[in-house]
Amino acid sequence: MPKKLKAGFYSLACCEGCEIVMFDLEENFLKALDFVEIVDARLFNGKHPGEKLDIAIVEGCVESEVDKKHLLEIRERCKYLVAFGACATIIGIPGIRNALPKEIQKKLKRKAIIPVKDKAFPISAFVKVDALLQGCPAFTHEILDVFVKLYHGIVPKLEEVPVCSECRERENPCLLFEGIPCLGPVTYAGCKALCPSERAQCIGCRGFTEDGNFEALRKKFQEMGIPKKEIYNLFTYFNPDPFTKKMEEK
Amino acid sequence: MQQNFLLKKEKLGEFLTALSKEAEVFVPSLNENNATCFLPYNSQELYLAERTQYSPKKILSPPLEKEFIFRKKSSSFEIEHLLDNKKRVFFGVRSCDTHAIKVLDKLYLEYFTEDKWYKAIREDLTIIALQCSKPCENGFCQSMGTDKPVGHDLLLVEKEKSFFVEIASERGEQLVKKYRDLFNQTNFTKPESKFKCSKELETTNLKEILDKNFFHKKWKQEAKKCLSCSSCTQVCPSCYCFLSFDKFILNTGDSERFRAWDSCQLKRFTRVSHDFFFRESRESRLRQFVMHKLSYFQENFGFPLCVGCGRCIMVCPVGIDLTEIASTIRGDSK
Repeated sequence: MPKKLKAGFYSLACCEGCEIVMFDLEENFLKALDFVEIVDARLFNGKHPGEKLDIAIVEGCVESEVDKKHLLEIRERCKYLVAFGACATIIGIPGIRNALPKEIQKKLKRKAIIPVKDKAFPISAFVKVDALLQGCPAFTHEILDVFVKLYHGIVPKLEEVPVCSECRERENPCLLFEGIPCLGPVTYAGCKALCPSERAQCIGCRGFTEDGNFEALRKKFQEMGIPKKEIYNLFTYFNPDPFTKKMEEK
Repeated sequence: MQQNFLLKKEKLGEFLTALSKEAEVFVPSLNENNATCFLPYNSQELYLAERTQYSPKKILSPPLEKEFIFRKKSSSFEIEHLLDNKKRVFFGVRSCDTHAIKVLDKLYLEYFTEDKWYKAIREDLTIIALQCSKPCENGFCQSMGTDKPVGHDLLLVEKEKSFFVEIASERGEQLVKKYRDLFNQTNFTKPESKFKCSKELETTNLKEILDKNFFHKKWKQEAKKCLSCSSCTQVCPSCYCFLSFDKFILNTGDSERFRAWDSCQLKRFTRVSHDFFFRESRESRLRQFVMHKLSYFQENFGFPLCVGCGRCIMVCPVGIDLTEIASTIRGDSK
């Protein structure tokens, strides 16, 4: 049996919810420990902080210079870097501040942290990311999958499938016909259409697909009579505004 | 002379309960989100008003199917095939869906040189078809010539307080024989259903017209609306594209092979080596869907892939309509 993978969990600006979700794995978590050794993690009591890593799992976004420094240091130490959860992959909730007007943004400033350009950034803005684990919180079965794949030397790749695809597999009626604005057509699947199956709209926590036809979806929302402000809020809830230029690298 | 029977409506529950004791019976009914689809019979209320929103395709070719497990031996692999040969009955399948099953049979049992997973499910399947008595929303089966069921075992036609039962195969005959006390013999002739479909699609020379208008501006216009959400292909009873992938089993060296539905509306569908996409534009993907349904399949197999159920029209959130595309192109090419 080859050597165990050395893994570390790190949190930048976030709620640390994704890491806590790891406990949902229950006995599978113990099974994973057969081939993964957690060397550096606050929550899992990692015993060897600062060691070289095979996999670094980073949750949270970059908001301050401290986060940025920490992230660059992690990247130096690891072989594969996995972005864990919505904040790390697409900025998620902390990214709401990016869409706020300037006056409000100024009030958000705190003395203790040195902000990076007054904005929140996904980690891919600063470092190369090898694999993405989307969702808010991330889905635990997917992290197991990433562990197993990396253990066998395969770097997992995202499949660009929209939520609608899985929603139809679950035989749900479409929410767009009920006047509920749903971001399913432009959001990455993998959640098995969790929200639409409970008759709640998809809010795009797994990130927008590259292929999504945002213009057509916005037009559809307008035809449904959704106010402009609400449409804007929905599109910028978890993701950077798809209608403006993509977030530039710093 | 062939005998015909009547099944009283109040006896239907008894019939289905008896059937479900020996086989898995799928009936059209409402699911927890009020969508109409085929569900295992559990004395629930049936939905017999019109064709269901979701077809029984998901039972014949499951959205995610485990094909086999391969286990690592010292120098080779051991393969364990996972075949599902349960006994099944589909009740209340509409004519369009029986034609879709015919398409799947043609592909999986002839063209793909006998797909053993499909064959296992299909072999012990009894189809009890139900004749439509009124037009359904968006359906255009009369235009596609799919308004008379094929390949079924029994055909039910609603007749006042009972169902007229026509035996269509040996399997169907044995079924009636087995539950003979539920059926009454009758001298009636089969009631003809007279209705006109809610949509129409002129099919004469359609293939030639579509082939000639490969670069028609209509494709671009429709693609601008299209969300590429793949809903149309997911609900289509005759869409059969799938992808295969392997999954490692945790902790062991073993793997599982899966088969999952795929859709031509997704960009990744046409990804080949070196990340090249041979149908990258939305326009070309949408055109592929319509052309495959109405032109390409006809060329290869002699009948169109589209069965005229109208589900793709019903499910499209932005109202892209296959019949409207075809008729616009026809109108412009005159």
